Amino acid sequence: MKRSPYDQQVLDRMAPGALCAEGFLGHDPRDLSDIIAADDAAVAAAGLIHTQIAAKLAEWMLIAITELGRAVELTDNVTGVWREGMGRIPSPWPGEGVFPKGELQLTDRRTGRAMLVTQLSVHLIGTHGFYQGRGSPYRIEPAELIPLLELA
Amino acid sequence: MVQPLSLWLVVLVATGLTCMLTTLLAGLLLLAERFLVNYGPCAIDINSGDRQLTVEGGQTLLAALKSEGIFIPSACGGRGTCAYCKLKITDGAGPLLPTEEPLLTKDEIAADVRISCQVKVRNDLKINIPQELFSIREYRGVVKRIRDLTHDIKELRIALTEPETLEFSAGQYIQLQAPAYDKSPESVYRAYSMSNPPDDNRAVETIIRLVPGGICTTWVFRYLTEGDEIAFSGPYGEFRLSETDNEMVWIAGGSGMSPFWSMIRHMKTAGIERKTTYFFGAVAKRDLFFVDELTELADELPWFEFIPALSAPADGDHWTGETGLITEIVNRHVTAGRNDLEAYLCGSAGMIDAACKVLADKGITEDRIFYDKFN
Repeated sequence: MKRSPYDQQVLDRMAPGALCAEGFLGHDPRDLSDIIAADDAAVAAAGLIHTQIAAKLAEWMLIAITELGRAVELTDNVTGVWREGMGRIPSPWPGEGVFPKGELQLTDRRTGRAMLVTQLSVHLIGTHGFYQGRGSPYRIEPAELIPLLELA
Repeated sequence: MVQPLSLWLVVLVATGLTCMLTTLLAGLLLLAERFLVNYGPCAIDINSGDRQLTVEGGQTLLAALKSEGIFIPSACGGRGTCAYCKLKITDGAGPLLPTEEPLLTKDEIAADVRISCQVKVRNDLKINIPQELFSIREYRGVVKRIRDLTHDIKELRIALTEPETLEFSAGQYIQLQAPAYDKSPESVYRAYSMSNPPDDNRAVETIIRLVPGGICTTWVFRYLTEGDEIAFSGPYGEFRLSETDNEMVWIAGGSGMSPFWSMIRHMKTAGIERKTTYFFGAVAKRDLFFVDELTELADELPWFEFIPALSAPADGDHWTGETGLITEIVNRHVTAGRNDLEAYLCGSAGMIDAACKVLADKGITEDRIFYDKFN
């Protein structure tokens, strides 16, 4: 598949070791545009848009950050824990700025399933509808996240 | 008469040829820039004539300065992502690049501040470099000890080999170089405060917390072993004890322990007897370290008090000490109206922002609050 130099630069920056050790695409065999399209369809099917999801995650993140690492109940079913990280990480899309490291662990108390959300993840979801590739430590499955957000 | 299909074909071919030609020209320009363009020697005037360098043009300003033994802080290895290598360039830098703009504030742009790893030396430059950066140099050493302090924090001790000693102030930091490895095709630099006291000047110790997915911390935790050779530059930073006799409060969490572990041992050795209260916050007991050592120091030194606190002790912790967020503990212990108090903070951005608010409410003015923020 032919890509523009810009698109190739984005893909290069998503590779393991470019901006972070594990990269953004995990072991997902799909093309970046296919990953985004599939997640877009899942979000649309739930009657939501990406900016709504990003805004809710940003709201939860602010709540968790003030707890300085202590667990906080974000809803009746969701626990959040903020873990600080040193430094900042840029967006794989060039020119979009740098984002403080650190991660919010969201745990569904009913199932015990957990997912990690970073400030960069929130930006990537809100701006590009990008939830990362399967196998990335920061992959968020829209189908798992959306019921937790209680946005409907 | 030209048939419509033929016309479309002509347009398609012409468009294709134009695209190919443009791509080819762009490629040739890049190759020419890299291999053919010779900017020749360029002069760099530092601090209005204090120092003059002549460097080969075509390289980045950061690389040119490094080749002359001037080390500007940089955590990303020149990839234009960390924004540590800001310098004021008063002449010759050319227009601001799109890669610099997101990393600079409007005030910085107005003040001619630039990202030195992005600016190429193509002609003579006039730049300003803070005086303290001239004492920074590269060091090499051997890892003598790696020990676990908690489940996600390690202490690293590096014995210096070249040069054999490092003069520094308690509170300063180094830039550790993680070499290229299978998780990172290029070497990167990351900042870590020194945790050993300055009189232990034949070695460097630092405290490192694992950042999931972090290139440098992954290397330290998974790849680095005792006996390995290691490189770093330093010492950097202005976070250090003031030269007053004012009473101090120290506030830290996690690997923010590092500068204070250096400072308290330095104060003991140097006979600095300033009344000091050290608040150290963690979530549960498994996140605490150096508690026994600091408690012993508190017993020994009448001017030093150590207050560890847990925000969410685990069921089996049997914790009898202070409980709550570290900012809540500080709020309980520090009385209001203490305009003779100095505060020193090291830790996450969230903790420092919250602590600054508590301290301001207590009447401690900004000029008496010193911090080393992780972000």
